[in-house]
Amino acid sequence: MIRRVAPWVLLVWMSWVIWAAFMRVAPAAGFQGQSSRILFFHVPTAWVASLAFLVSCVASIMYLARRKPVDDARAAASAALGLLFAVLATVTGSIFAKVEWGAFWNWDPRQTSITLLLLIYAAYFALRGAVPDPERRATLSAAYAILAFVTVPFLIWVVPRIYWSLHPDVMTNPDPDSRLDSSHAQVLMASLAGFTGLFVWLYNLETRIERLRRSRAEEEL
Amino acid sequence: MWRWVAEAAAVFAKDLRTEFRTKVALNSLGLFAITVLAAVSYTVGPYRIAEADRPFLLSALLWIVIFFAAMAGLDRTFVKEEETHTAPLLRLAAEPLVVWAGKLLFNLVLLYVLMALLVPLYSILMGLEIPRPGRLVALLAVGGYALAVVTTMVAAIIARAISRGALFSVLSIPILLPLLIFLIEGTRAVAEGNPGGVSSTLRAVVSLGGVMTVVSVFLFPVVWND
Repeated sequence: MIRRVAPWVLLVWMSWVIWAAFMRVAPAAGFQGQSSRILFFHVPTAWVASLAFLVSCVASIMYLARRKPVDDARAAASAALGLLFAVLATVTGSIFAKVEWGAFWNWDPRQTSITLLLLIYAAYFALRGAVPDPERRATLSAAYAILAFVTVPFLIWVVPRIYWSLHPDVMTNPDPDSRLDSSHAQVLMASLAGFTGLFVWLYNLETRIERLRRSRAEEEL
Repeated sequence: MWRWVAEAAAVFAKDLRTEFRTKVALNSLGLFAITVLAAVSYTVGPYRIAEADRPFLLSALLWIVIFFAAMAGLDRTFVKEEETHTAPLLRLAAEPLVVWAGKLLFNLVLLYVLMALLVPLYSILMGLEIPRPGRLVALLAVGGYALAVVTTMVAAIIARAISRGALFSVLSIPILLPLLIFLIEGTRAVAEGNPGGVSSTLRAVVSLGGVMTVVSVFLFPVVWND
């Protein structure tokens, strides 16, 4: 029942988010022109890319602990979605950077972090492609996912302390004037929830497809 | 405990002995570093960088040469075991953590030898002036350790895959980039005579190296025994 209703609820929810992002709220103060509207899509895609990385790491730990192929399928599905959302976050961030700062790319610490996340995801899939044996592929890629995840706190908390960042902090900024007002924050929260729901739905689909693919391959054997 | 140390030292001694027979890793690391240094020195040289930019750009170039030289040879320690089919015997002869410690020590010695040769040569050819060399030595020591820990673990992973050479760089560089950023900033602080910058970098590098050591201790037996 939930599986059948969830996509329709998600469709309505995301339609409302898109409508609200463009029609319900005025452009936020302190941003160039209409550029603030992209935050409603950029922040959630970046959040989902990070969430997918965490899910992939947890699934990898579970694979090493339980050795169940489904955990490897979960880790790979989450990494694939993480790669997709990281690309979307990079593209939307670059458009925002061009409007606000005059250049698509300037190696801001946040841009460096998302680039590294993209490189790690790409390396993860390069490794998976280079190991023909499924069990060994699962073990090695799980080990790499965990090793790579360890660097994330250093990227998020330590590197920005070394390099000065242009990136706006609209959620946790200590200066209340630099935060989004309540109507913008509502749309952003709704968008974050919607994108998280979208990730969960796509993740379940990917995992189910992978399970079917594996059971079919076993039947053929 | 002493038996464990003696076994790790035996793995290290075996690797050192086999390396001196072929010198593949030494030649790869050394020649790559010298070739890149010659290219950098010829194209950039000591006088083509503005005085204000020198500490940062010379530090960045130094660590890029070291990192890419490391990419050229530090995977050999595990790859050669798979190529010569000696890995199964090593699995029977020693515990996984003993193998890890021996291989880590070997990579560490290789890196320190490379740094001992490269850094003075780089300073002479590129005109990098270091007011307090002791701070740079501390940075090279902890940076070299963190670099060796990560590359040893990645080398163990890629040794079981196909197209190992290309994979080693592809897998290592994304994980090593935060370390590269820290070490460039630390060396810049050394060149500018900024002790606060050096100590904060040392803390960041030591914590990164420490975390990677703990994770490697847990992950290596899984990767090695698979």
